[in-house]
Amino acid sequence: MNKIMRHGQVGRSAPRLEAREKATGRAEYVHNLRLPGMLYGKIFRSTIPHGRIRSIDVSAAAAHPGVYRVITAADVAKVVPNPYYGPAFHDQPILAIDKVHHVGEPVAVVLATDPHVAEEAAALIVAQYDELPAVYDEVEAMTSKAVVHDVLKPAGTFPDLKHLQGKTDTNVALDFHLRRGDVAKAFAEADHVFEHTFRTKAVLHLPLEPFVSVAETTGSGLTIHTASQSPSFVRIEIARLLGWPENRVRVKVPYLGGGFGAKLYIKLEALVAALALIVNRPVKIALTMEEQFFTLTKHASTFRIKSAVSKDGKITGRECEVWWNGGAYADIGPRITQKSGFTAPGPYDIDNVTIDSYSLYTNLTPAGALRGFGIPQLVWAYESHADMIARALKLDPLAFRRKNILREGNAQATGTIMRDAAIEAVLEQVSARMDWEKPFARSSGSVKRGRGIAIGFKASISPTTSVAIVNVAADGSATLYCSTVDMGQGSDTANAQIVAEVLSIEAEAVRIVHPDTDVTPYDMATLGSRSLYHMGNAVRLAAQDAKAKLADLAREVGVPEGSNIPIAELFVKKYKMQAGNIIGTASYIPSYVPPEAETGQTPNATPFWMVGGAGAEVEVDTETGHVRVTRLVNVGDVGTLINPRIVATQLSGAAVMQYGFTMQEQIETDGGQITNASFADYKIPSILDIPPMESEAVDAEQHDGPFGAKGVGESGTFAVSPAIANAIDDAVGVRISELPITPEAVYRAIRARNGDPLEDA
Amino acid sequence: MSETVRTIRFTLNGETRTAQIEPHWNLVDLLTRLDLFGARESCAQGLCGCCTVIVDGTAVSGCLHLAAFADGATLSTIEDSHGLDAVQQAFIDTGALQCGFCTPGFILMTRQLLAAHPDPDDDTIRHYLAGNLCRCGAYAEIIEAVKLAAKRPKA
Amino acid sequence: MRAFELVEPATLREAAASLGADDSTIRPIAGGTAIVLMMKAGVFRPERLVSLRRIERRHAAIERTAEGGLHIGAMATLTALEHSADIRAAAPVIARMLRNHSNVRVRNVATVGGNLAHADPNMDMPPVLIALGARVTTISSDGERSIAVEDLPAGFYQTVLKPNELIAALEIPAQHARRSAYLKCTTRAAHDWPTLGIAVSLGDNDARIVISAATERPMRLTAAENEFRDPRKAAEAAADTVKIMPDARGSIPYKRQLVRVYVERALRAAMEAAS
Repeated sequence: MNKIMRHGQVGRSAPRLEAREKATGRAEYVHNLRLPGMLYGKIFRSTIPHGRIRSIDVSAAAAHPGVYRVITAADVAKVVPNPYYGPAFHDQPILAIDKVHHVGEPVAVVLATDPHVAEEAAALIVAQYDELPAVYDEVEAMTSKAVVHDVLKPAGTFPDLKHLQGKTDTNVALDFHLRRGDVAKAFAEADHVFEHTFRTKAVLHLPLEPFVSVAETTGSGLTIHTASQSPSFVRIEIARLLGWPENRVRVKVPYLGGGFGAKLYIKLEALVAALALIVNRPVKIALTMEEQFFTLTKHASTFRIKSAVSKDGKITGRECEVWWNGGAYADIGPRITQKSGFTAPGPYDIDNVTIDSYSLYTNLTPAGALRGFGIPQLVWAYESHADMIARALKLDPLAFRRKNILREGNAQATGTIMRDAAIEAVLEQVSARMDWEKPFARSSGSVKRGRGIAIGFKASISPTTSVAIVNVAADGSATLYCSTVDMGQGSDTANAQIVAEVLSIEAEAVRIVHPDTDVTPYDMATLGSRSLYHMGNAVRLAAQDAKAKLADLAREVGVPEGSNIPIAELFVKKYKMQAGNIIGTASYIPSYVPPEAETGQTPNATPFWMVGGAGAEVEVDTETGHVRVTRLVNVGDVGTLINPRIVATQLSGAAVMQYGFTMQEQIETDGGQITNASFADYKIPSILDIPPMESEAVDAEQHDGPFGAKGVGESGTFAVSPAIANAIDDAVGVRISELPITPEAVYRAIRARNGDPLEDA
Repeated sequence: MSETVRTIRFTLNGETRTAQIEPHWNLVDLLTRLDLFGARESCAQGLCGCCTVIVDGTAVSGCLHLAAFADGATLSTIEDSHGLDAVQQAFIDTGALQCGFCTPGFILMTRQLLAAHPDPDDDTIRHYLAGNLCRCGAYAEIIEAVKLAAKRPKA
Repeated sequence: MRAFELVEPATLREAAASLGADDSTIRPIAGGTAIVLMMKAGVFRPERLVSLRRIERRHAAIERTAEGGLHIGAMATLTALEHSADIRAAAPVIARMLRNHSNVRVRNVATVGGNLAHADPNMDMPPVLIALGARVTTISSDGERSIAVEDLPAGFYQTVLKPNELIAALEIPAQHARRSAYLKCTTRAAHDWPTLGIAVSLGDNDARIVISAATERPMRLTAAENEFRDPRKAAEAAADTVKIMPDARGSIPYKRQLVRVYVERALRAAMEAAS
């Protein structure tokens, strides 16, 4: 256990600070915001997947009673001359210019004081297109004659994207390569070679609060109220688009009704900013649930994985080829291709590895980060593959993993030495919880039982900065200013506990000022489970800075060291009244060494590792293919627990979400058209769907995390899908290689295994 | 004002109110114009429960319920009191909320559930709350909260 | 959505009179859960809605008939049916089915008349009522008539009702010693519209076996009914003869397999059910 002195604030299951506001329906969301004179915007969207815009006729919409104005790209160009945005590529226009690249792409906006009027009028807009050939599959996109973008436009800030500048005739937005050891030799000398291909379909975040942003012009510039996970990025990117200094753009973010990676970078913010500047009135755009399907998805993927294995089950070489379906705009896809790509061989000790990971443009809704940043797609493949190898070699799946597991102190595929990654402990705890080494009761009837395990890991994003300010008022009360967004993960509470621990006060007494870029300092973003580590460290250091300044103040006013004198009296001694502040500040950025371009090798790939393992028990109805998960065990390494209850709900909540992606969810498309863009036809898990679950964090410590802690929001997603697929194989001897695992897919696989495939005639 | 505007009278969280509405407005349109934001239109299909409103003692989906049908009715929303009842306290104590967007709907439905089934088992809870969705996945804690609220004396 | 005229007549007869004989932009609205969805989706844009919520209260009553059957006003909500002691006594299969039907809030306002008139093929209620031998009585300017629920659907989202004809009541005959079961199969989530629904009503010498959701409209499986004493044979007969509609919930051969499995399971469930 960690040896840091405790004041009982860290490690306590404090109820969320904002729980009362949320339970009484009074928590502040952008959803609630109305401003005087505000107009509502309704987006008119492309109905085709790829084409040149021949004409946009807005006359009927503009003439519709109650419509204030209809805006197209031509109007936007007057306030934003170069209106292309994006975190990795500047490829996404505020409204479509010349071409549309996916169904649902914003083409025009109707503004009205009544949102019903805006909606009615938007339906009156008529656009005509000259359709272009389109590509939808990520593997076909590698060689397709249909090219999504005429020319690639990487943002200038990234050295690893420079070689893509100005490229034409390609859909590859990023190719990442890793070379370690001698893979050809490993395969030449292998006793066994296994090669499998796994796929995942596109799914999406669907926070219950859909995307919503409001912009208003002010005397000094613009204020944007937005449900965003990245207020600092929004400020910088909007300022860049407008050619303004950062300080003329103010971005405010209250609570989010869920985020999961959807509400990152620019979504509606550039559009509402442009609209507010054009009409000089506040503008709000709140998307419907359906419109979320046209905004951002999680990458569909194809992963070909090939392993060289010795007679006794040691993996000696591995080839990984991963294709990520990025949709029509890059968003953060290229980063997923690389940052997640380098963990593609899995948490195994393999001397000879190659990775080729490709981010592809296609004519579908753009794909971005979703709770795991590409990791669940990879774990799906390498942990399914692991069981298939073990089965073929007649090895126990646990024994096979134990033989190959990546241990503390050994080198990962990048060459980085593993530290503070409790991979073994997680694997052992999953197997202990599952009673893996005891006999398992199977059934004889048409319903078969099985069980499976899986384990995955993830590197944190790097290198990124968080800045925090702790303000101690003259009565001793403390306020934390930081730009971490509490979208439900409990960051306000965890950060308050860290401040409270350092200052020896109650967490409930700490006030959190929500992100407001005029007030709260820079933070890269709330994503990728980075906040507790990065911002947590900044918050801890800022609180320590305040504490040191309080000690200075005590010395200054002649209070002896170690005295219990209340803070308020220190201020009174100095200022003779209740007055003054102590401001503690800190900035945190971990160290990092970028990977070598040719080989992907680096001695320092990530500030910290996250580990997630899962075990599943299932019952498979062999007559219908229905799978009932009767037990789902989730174990994570999340370092020290700042708030054990919130950690447990993060692990289980992540597992519930991944359960949906495993068993139920998929975006169905037909020629680029989404055919199930609603909760009626895209089924997220309900309370009737979820299996009995157990979640647990292993005893671990991140040596340089705040009080030994690190991120927890994603770890519960990693291993759920392959654990279930492995359990199905254990039950009925069939292998499902594509997510989601539908009853029909399982039934068809059973029939095929029986030599009696289901005929489509 | 269009010719279809009509005036309705109703009781809202204990107060008598009148409002001018359009026939195509739903209950959420009405409530947000009265500055009540606890009922939220999310899925817009009556499936997620974020827009739950109690009309004459019965839970409805505010997104599918015409505001005109509130004429003469008694409405109550999550904002019906400032204090916390046993259900709200149980949701807080068990950590049965994360982002909080679905929480008012779950709490209102739990009150209905406990009125009909004072000591519900898991199966009853799951069937009753099948029409409320939580994307954060706090279902296990929600079941715990319902059971805890059932054990506590009513406020 | 855009504005429309909303009228709220005080009687069922007036309501029928307020409906146009051949104007598709005028429709009745009861609970509204289906029609408001259609309006939100823009697939129905009314000029006038005729609300039934102020009509005589007797049209929401649930009564036991002298013969032991049920008379149910068309405005009775699904929740009222679910909790009715009369229904639990005379046709308990309805209450059991309703527990997994839509959700509490929808059941609180959706009416039995609206459910049948909407003719959504993916509904649980119609196959159960067909199996029970239920009929509706309707009212229009032409007078009243009685239609078997089995004959009500005319196709995908279509009924034999005329535009100005309203369902007034549902009549369920006494079931005597008949035993019934309804099995709902979902394939995309536990809580969903059915991929397949099989309702069975079993007498001493006959069975009514009704399929829904996997077919264009709910219908009797006569080939299976002829083999009802042997559930496996009945299942094969059903699978061999039924015309399946494929959709995102399942392909034709997969749904055919589900029919095979669920007809057998539903028949066995009915055999084990109390009468």
